[in-house]
Amino acid sequence: MSSGDTTFKYSGTVGMQHEEPLLFEHAHEAPESINLPGVDGDISAELSAFSRKQAANIPGLSEPETVRHFVRLSQWNHGIETGFYPLGSCTMKYNPRVNEQVVRLPGLAHIHPDQPEETAQGVLELMYELQGWLGDVSGLPHVTLQPAAGAHGELAGLMMIRAALDARGQQHRRKVLVPDSAHGTNPASAALCGMHCVELKSGADGRIDLDELKAHLDDDTAALMMTNPNTAGAFESDIKEICQLVHDAGGFVYGDGANLNALVGVARPGDMGIDCLHINVHKTFSTPHGGGGPGGGPVAVNDILAPYLPVPRIEKHGDSFTLAYNCDTSVGPVLGTPGQIGVYLRANAYISAFGRQHLHRIAEDAVLNANYILHRLKDRYHVPFEGLCKHECLLTDEIQNRHGVKTLDIAKRLIDLGFHPMTVYFPLIVHGAMLIEPTETESRETLDAFCDAMLEIADACEAGDTEALHEAPLKPFRRRLDETQAARKPVLVWPE
Amino acid sequence: MRFLPHTDTDRTAMLETIGAANMSDLFADIPSEFHIEQGSLNIADALSEAGIVRKFTKAAEKNRNATNTRYFLGGGTYHHFVPAVVDYIISRGEFLTAYTPYQPEIAQGTLQALFEFQTMIARLTGMDVSNASMYEAATATAEAALMARRITRKNRVVMAGSVNPRYRSVTSNYLSRLEGEYVEVEMGHSGTNLGTDLDKVIASIDEKTACVIVQYPDFYGSVYDLAPLRAACDAAKCLMVVAFSDISAFALIESPGAMGADIAVGSGQSLGIPMGFGGPHLGLFTCKQKFLRQMPGRVCGLTNDADGKRGFVLTLSTREQHIRREKATSNICSNQGLMCTAAATYMTQMGDAGLATVARHSAAALQSLVSQLPDHVTAASGAHYNETVLSFANCEARDRFLAAARDKDMFAGIPLEKIDVSAESHHLLVATTEMVEAEDINDYLTMLEVAK
Repeated sequence: MSSGDTTFKYSGTVGMQHEEPLLFEHAHEAPESINLPGVDGDISAELSAFSRKQAANIPGLSEPETVRHFVRLSQWNHGIETGFYPLGSCTMKYNPRVNEQVVRLPGLAHIHPDQPEETAQGVLELMYELQGWLGDVSGLPHVTLQPAAGAHGELAGLMMIRAALDARGQQHRRKVLVPDSAHGTNPASAALCGMHCVELKSGADGRIDLDELKAHLDDDTAALMMTNPNTAGAFESDIKEICQLVHDAGGFVYGDGANLNALVGVARPGDMGIDCLHINVHKTFSTPHGGGGPGGGPVAVNDILAPYLPVPRIEKHGDSFTLAYNCDTSVGPVLGTPGQIGVYLRANAYISAFGRQHLHRIAEDAVLNANYILHRLKDRYHVPFEGLCKHECLLTDEIQNRHGVKTLDIAKRLIDLGFHPMTVYFPLIVHGAMLIEPTETESRETLDAFCDAMLEIADACEAGDTEALHEAPLKPFRRRLDETQAARKPVLVWPE
Repeated sequence: MRFLPHTDTDRTAMLETIGAANMSDLFADIPSEFHIEQGSLNIADALSEAGIVRKFTKAAEKNRNATNTRYFLGGGTYHHFVPAVVDYIISRGEFLTAYTPYQPEIAQGTLQALFEFQTMIARLTGMDVSNASMYEAATATAEAALMARRITRKNRVVMAGSVNPRYRSVTSNYLSRLEGEYVEVEMGHSGTNLGTDLDKVIASIDEKTACVIVQYPDFYGSVYDLAPLRAACDAAKCLMVVAFSDISAFALIESPGAMGADIAVGSGQSLGIPMGFGGPHLGLFTCKQKFLRQMPGRVCGLTNDADGKRGFVLTLSTREQHIRREKATSNICSNQGLMCTAAATYMTQMGDAGLATVARHSAAALQSLVSQLPDHVTAASGAHYNETVLSFANCEARDRFLAAARDKDMFAGIPLEKIDVSAESHHLLVATTEMVEAEDINDYLTMLEVAK
């Protein structure tokens, strides 16, 4: 199979495998234009003076060709509906189809954010209900639905912390402590909020080292940003003391809620001393990842930070719901719309399906599945931090390294064996990290199959049978892609 | 619980493998004082699937929507036609339930769609390159200001007062915690000529200015020539940032690129994405080729695989937070990926001809309305695409009309002061799309009688 391969010359498809050209390569004259409604009249003379001189050159395909093009592309994708997707820190769980159905109801999909509020009470009620639930799940009762994703929630949360410090006359507190295991968004968000980061070195057990924390807490400290369970999948058991230390030093504790799936319905970050938490609803509450988004990053805060919540806020007055824009203490708007409403409708539907009775079973089965994988693999893969894991488990390539095999090879070999790889080379605190998050929606059969595949890889390494590992993946229609070439001479658009 | 595959037999066997006696052993690392009682949360009782459908249907019925009401609402969100194929394609599980394409060998579908998206967005805006989306237009505008500061190493940002007030307030909010100056140029809402006073904007530029942000067509729907601003930006060595609300305009009028924009940002919601009460929408970010390494967000690029076959990857990741952390060009991680696929499908289905028809019908509807206005209602002067400001004798007359229109299943516009808080309360922001029919305009004009 080379680039001169003529196998696909007739239809682009051989034996159910497609070679779909770029849309721009479907060379034929644009078909008859799609029939569109509306006023087929004249535009104003004033506007005509600004007419576009050169067409944009958007090719345009007929409807059957459009569908076939994108359906073929879709078949080049692995999704949670196609197979296991154990990306650590990403919580790739099943996305219920009923959620897709209800968000498409015309009364929820085809409504304008600026139509009169009294004609949009249904959607506001669902949003208000979700705010309350997220507040209860997190133990932080005041919630904003404005942030569009986790990183955006971090920014909004840090804005609130900064505003609270400023209100205390502590404009000098601009230092944010971030463990070296943190998501990269944490320091990036702090920088965007005009704060600077100091990295905390993790302890030997992968957790926050109390002495290290104490050494960095001072009068300039604005906040500690922490993820709990952390990105090694371990619960920060010193959480109470950590929060106490930060509070005693006059700072706030920001919780990165990326790993809330381990706690939902079982324990609440707010009870532990966290002041402010963003929640990735596209993780914990099963809104689809969509190949990169849309997400949703609502932020839940305690009473101290509540005055600073962004606007608009969804409030209830009597029996009616409203988007409230007026609040002097607010940090202001962080988005130009009321939020990722369609995403939040799905989150509401997901919580509704579990309800009060079953919500804790999300965390239980998620943690059960991760520990099960850990126990099936721990004798054959290096486990950097001993003990229970929460919703994800961390392995490294230390044992396989002895046979010249790296994490990347293992990941790519998994593709050939029928699985999406785990998160690789994150967290940064261990060499060759492999972070595996199965979620609660996977069957024992799938987990066993995945573990068997991992064990086959371990066997191959020990037998010195590593060629397939270095060459992997061999099965998909594209093999390892040259990222260096892509970055050196970036081609981001197809030339005309 | 139907989303959980395990039986109790599975759970028991798995706990045994782990060496745990029961489920709570798995949570022994959480101090017991923080364990909450099962079922103690203040969340509604679990619903069956049928119960969920019933609940959401009931809520949906409380909302007036575009299937039972005529919409003349804009201000950043527009009711354009969405072909059925768009929703079909983004409902496919392979697109819907995939993660960010970090393993390109098994994500070429998302990646090729992103590459096609970037190409078509660049062509429509007349810009060299596009990224693979921002959250929405306001944050995209803020990111453009930040990018201009990085490129020019200057930190004064000039914002025209005719930019959507929501884009302005988010941008001003983003910049307010960083060193530098943010200047908003008031336009002065004189008479019926709401629009952009480019002379005033140009007069606000100085040598410390990193960029000037204007909207085109502006928030009030006004279309104007940006050539004088381009010249002024060149003279002051600052960047020209052009924001837009309804990208469908650029199938009809000159693109931001043709007008000389260095960075063009805005909303792609008009490209096959329903209004959805404000989200998820699609933020667009485009710029000149020479600035691409300062761009925020993800980008998809062309490359080859180990066998020399063409393929696509996320690239230039050294700009991004997971590599650069504190020094990243932006903190953005999750973006609006699926909305890019929606927009790519929409544009493919439309082509140049379809996009031009959408734009022409949108503009023709406005022209039809404005050209038939009675004497007691005036429209802003000058060129407008599909949005304008109507002025009534007073607030009462306007609101009488809005109420009458609502009774006849029509949302006739957005009271301007709702978005533009400094505006006087006798103005109405009105937008048209190809979803407006000639009959709707006749009804609109008839109802204007009550505003006399």
